[in-house]
Amino acid sequence: MTTMAEIDVSKPLPAITTEAKPFWDAAAEQKLMIQRCQECNAWVWTPRPACNECGSEKIEWTQMSGRGEVYSFTVIRQVVGRAASKAFEPDIPYVIAWVDLDEGPRLITNIIGCPVEDVKLGMKVAVQFEKASEKIWLPKFKPS
Amino acid sequence: MSIKNQAAIVGIGDTPTDRLGSKPGEPRKSSAEYLSWAMHLALEDAGLSLKDFQGQGLGVTIPTAYPQPFWPEEVSEILGITPGFLLGGATGGAGAVSLLGGMSAAINSGFIDLALVIGAAAPFSEHWGGGIQPGDMRDWEIPYGTMGPNSKIAMVMRRHMHQYGTTLDHLGKIAVAGRYHASLNPLGYLRKPITIDDYKNSRLVADPVRLLDCVMPANGGKAYILASPERAKTLRKKPIYLKGFGERSNPSYGPRAGSDALIMGVKDAGRVAMEMAGVKHQDINFLELYDDYIIVVYLQIEDLGFCDKGDLKFFENTDFTFKGQLPIQTGGGIINCGQPSTAGGVHHILEGVRQLRGEGGERQVPNAKIGLISGLGVLPYGKNLGCCAVAILGNEV
Repeated sequence: MTTMAEIDVSKPLPAITTEAKPFWDAAAEQKLMIQRCQECNAWVWTPRPACNECGSEKIEWTQMSGRGEVYSFTVIRQVVGRAASKAFEPDIPYVIAWVDLDEGPRLITNIIGCPVEDVKLGMKVAVQFEKASEKIWLPKFKPS
Repeated sequence: MSIKNQAAIVGIGDTPTDRLGSKPGEPRKSSAEYLSWAMHLALEDAGLSLKDFQGQGLGVTIPTAYPQPFWPEEVSEILGITPGFLLGGATGGAGAVSLLGGMSAAINSGFIDLALVIGAAAPFSEHWGGGIQPGDMRDWEIPYGTMGPNSKIAMVMRRHMHQYGTTLDHLGKIAVAGRYHASLNPLGYLRKPITIDDYKNSRLVADPVRLLDCVMPANGGKAYILASPERAKTLRKKPIYLKGFGERSNPSYGPRAGSDALIMGVKDAGRVAMEMAGVKHQDINFLELYDDYIIVVYLQIEDLGFCDKGDLKFFENTDFTFKGQLPIQTGGGIINCGQPSTAGGVHHILEGVRQLRGEGGERQVPNAKIGLISGLGVLPYGKNLGCCAVAILGNEV
């Protein structure tokens, strides 16, 4: 019988893949960087080895303004599923959102720094990095 | 390339679904048992035997909770088939419809003239550990505390309500019609009719997604048999022809990094399928739409072109029951009949076949000649569903 104490309740962290390492290195310095194709100008997100609009390998990490707006959101009020989800229990209720950056790309993130009741579609937000481990700073967003 | 009328469904097998194993000590069946059961039902329905399938086509939907890379081969061994053409349906809940297209193409080529397509899963009675696989979900979603597909579809639903003024009354109408049909379906699992208020008052699961918005996971197995038109004529049941097929995986409406999350790939898959079949909207007698969520059924009705995007009046004025102008989910869908993982996608094909054979019983759509079936799979990072397949079935060449 597995007891609660034996279940790993630390929050799951992203793997730092080779294509995503520049993102996490920049995030640790409080910079939000996204790849941009130097041939067709498309934003490439999440990190990819080449442009997934035109196929060009000429893609460059580009610093973003860190500003955007809430495209949509949900409020998590209960954890379901995997054991690791339990790690989020103390945070309940919290907001999962799609944030569209002013430059275009859409991120899945959390809205922080305000009560969940205050979150609205179209709300202007700005990035704030939260330390999740020595190497991982997660970009989250607060009202701006 | 057209594969219109080049293959026909000649047999169906649908086990009852259950949730055995959700409580300790309950009797339970394995995936293998549901597979075997579904196959034997389909063989009996078609009047075929196992030996007919040696050297022929076998298609197996790949379940999400059992990441065994050689699963289709193992299913061959479970069933006792040595296929001459083995395909895995790897488009999630769209797999059953994808395999309908793939196997029909193989039959059209003359390489095979018979194919069994099958899927089963037993998420309650079998528990696979499974880790979190590499990909966007592991690296960019779960670290923020997302709770599976509910979290993402909740954002789609809220956005639609915000952008078009869609209300729970509009959405609830879909839920009520589906449950009504399940109440008339002996293979339904949730069979007690519901009202719009029941829908509105059901528990919030992922705001604004409620319990009665969600598909119901279940144990079960489902299968269908395809044959060339020549072979089909020699068998006992009325052939149900594949008249049109279209598929779009990884669709994007707008830039890939930030597309319109309210448009689904059925927009293009449906257009391609309808063009192949040579049918227009008014020719289609009923829709069996993949239903992991109520909002997903709603979006498909828009994106297939039965109304404009955001046309609330259409939903207010249309009767979606089997007696109405646009019957949908005539068997109750997997929201009410249960979703055995990706094998749930077979449900919509089987119900379409029943309607076109005239085996719809108390929920029979009058004079049904043409039906549209969809399959969907995967909720990717920043978009709507990632795998979309549409088939048009008909009971005449």
